[in-house]
Amino acid sequence: MWYGQANYSLTCLVHCPNIQGRCSLNTLAAVGIRPGFGFLGGEAGFDVNESLIAYSASDSYARVLLVGFLNTVELSIVCIVGSTIIGTVMGIIRSGNNWIGIRLAMAYVEVCRNLPKLLILLAIFIVMVNGLPVVRQAWDLFGCVYISNRAFYFPKLIWDDRMQFVLAGIAIWFLSAIFWQRHAKRYQERTGQRLPQVLPICGAFIAVVLGISAIFNVPYQLSIPVQIGFDFEGGSWLSVQFVALAITLSIYHGGQITELVRGGIQSVSQGQIEASAALGLKPLLTTRLVVLPLALRMIIPPIGNQYLNLVKNTSIALAIGYSDLVSVMSTSINQTFRPIELMSITMMTYLAISLVVTSLLNWFNAHVKIVEN
Amino acid sequence: MTSSEKSTEKPLQIKFGFFRWIHHNLFGSFFDGVVTICVLLFLVWFIPIAVSWLFIDAVGFSGNEALCRSADGACWPFMQEKARLILFGTYPYNQQWRAALASFIVIGLVGTLMSNRLKVKPMLILWVGGAALFVLLMLGGTIGLQMVQTVSWNGLPVFLLLAVFSLAAAFPLGILLALGRFQNDHFLIRSVTIAYIELIRGVPLLTVLFMGLFVFPLILPQGFVIEPLIAVLVALMIFHAAYFAEDIRGGLQTLSSGQFDAADSLGFSYWQKVRLIILPQAFKSSLPAIFNTLIGAYKDTSLVVIVGIHDMLSTAKMAYSDPGWQRYGLEAYFFVGVWYLWPQHSMTAKASWFQTSLA
Repeated sequence: MWYGQANYSLTCLVHCPNIQGRCSLNTLAAVGIRPGFGFLGGEAGFDVNESLIAYSASDSYARVLLVGFLNTVELSIVCIVGSTIIGTVMGIIRSGNNWIGIRLAMAYVEVCRNLPKLLILLAIFIVMVNGLPVVRQAWDLFGCVYISNRAFYFPKLIWDDRMQFVLAGIAIWFLSAIFWQRHAKRYQERTGQRLPQVLPICGAFIAVVLGISAIFNVPYQLSIPVQIGFDFEGGSWLSVQFVALAITLSIYHGGQITELVRGGIQSVSQGQIEASAALGLKPLLTTRLVVLPLALRMIIPPIGNQYLNLVKNTSIALAIGYSDLVSVMSTSINQTFRPIELMSITMMTYLAISLVVTSLLNWFNAHVKIVEN
Repeated sequence: MTSSEKSTEKPLQIKFGFFRWIHHNLFGSFFDGVVTICVLLFLVWFIPIAVSWLFIDAVGFSGNEALCRSADGACWPFMQEKARLILFGTYPYNQQWRAALASFIVIGLVGTLMSNRLKVKPMLILWVGGAALFVLLMLGGTIGLQMVQTVSWNGLPVFLLLAVFSLAAAFPLGILLALGRFQNDHFLIRSVTIAYIELIRGVPLLTVLFMGLFVFPLILPQGFVIEPLIAVLVALMIFHAAYFAEDIRGGLQTLSSGQFDAADSLGFSYWQKVRLIILPQAFKSSLPAIFNTLIGAYKDTSLVVIVGIHDMLSTAKMAYSDPGWQRYGLEAYFFVGVWYLWPQHSMTAKASWFQTSLA
């Protein structure tokens, strides 16, 4: 049946604040609520639908706010990666020679520019909730991934303490790979000869992982979700809310990034492209080695703004009941009636995230800038 | 192959045959070929689904709910049944002509912006008059109109009220903020405007809306009650003003300092200088950014449903919460989506018209 049970979670869409502006600071003082952050230690008493750290309803408000913050960060990172990939690919197609690809990219950008993200989110969410099967009849992909209209279940690697050694090995590999690349670059500048890079770095990775695993006899075991009654056990899962949000924001901001990438690519002068063609570079290599590095420098500042918007836009999670920072804050306000304290914590957190992202981008921007003599 | 050389002659036109055209435009390189095949596969998968949902499996306007229940596609009778609910929500049914008229007034006001003779004073009178008429029509209570509380203002008029009036009020505020930030004479004004702009631009719209609903009532003196609708309107204005301010500041920064010196040497007062010399030039270069903000702000107005204001997304939900019509959420959002698309489209068109006519 195409339409299953509908919109069980949309009830939180119309989220009426339980006060309708009938309080003032004086009345607050009269009922004995004094401004202060002491309430953060109190028991939150409400549950969240997913959490990256251990959480139960008996934990404190401070803990639930941390859970919300981590969910916001997780969602932001997933969406930043997703929208960057979508935007770059569509932007390259949009500024290419492919007639049908250009038309599709244009239509995609128009839709993203003209529809509100909340509308896209609600439409995708309702299609997922109505269109995907209930947990008991979840779609089975390869016997290890299950898709239902409540959550997506997939296998998880079981953590073993010996895996620390593998992680440490990977960290050392990463640092030495950077060192090797720098050395190769300097060597090429000095002698004009290229040292092999891709093969030794990839080979070293495989050698490091396999070697350490063999030495310490690290067990790699997957925990595969198994259906038991009305739920799955084992493995890991993502709620359908998270998936809907990730899809919506990746698509929505991917559309904005498409236009930025196109603008950047078109700002690369035709002479550069012709020069690289004259040097015998194939179109794909021209794109990778000449056009993208030049376009990147044009694109970074506006893309940084997009990332900041994206982080702020994750707050629409409240509309479908995903426990992000704003949604946790709103529940806490309704319970404790501490709007000023909770609002200032939330706003300061977003400001801090903005600051971190901005300074990272400034650093990156300075790093890739063409050094002009 | 010298595309950079300026030449008055038309470039050489090469006529392609059909297969040459396909080869050149669809399979020009390996990457293009992969893209073409992926796009075609996507279209082959997507178009039949869309067409069958929209037309083939759909129940036409002459159908009824019973027919819809057995169909797999869209249920258009739902639209017919619920269009008025989505547009005007729980506004008293026999009074909905007032809501419709009020919406037309706001659309007409926006239309006056599209006429290209912008004179500030008549425009101001028109807008204040229009706003007063809007409130009079919607609220009633006088001249024989039945009183309708703001709680039952829903759908389109609320959306237009919030989107249009918050932006109209935010724009002058944005100008003031930009001017406050773009000067060195008053350190205090400068720091306050910088703090305001950076704070608002650093936080999500939702938190500002929450602030409007929860914190405004606390700041007001005892005995004053602020309607949630007004609180949200003010919050939207505060939010958009910061973005407008940055757009306009971008325009201010493109002006050469000679303009300021010239205005000073002519003996202009500060406001004369700003009104006659600075702002007209600053607007010209900041128009693209302003239109981007306008388009984004117009879309973001939809977020007010999350704090419990019933705009069209919320009335759409009301429409498919009706027990008989619960399965048609997508149709409801489709309807709302169309309402978003056309004003957006005219705004984009206006933006490009401005860009070409002012360039």
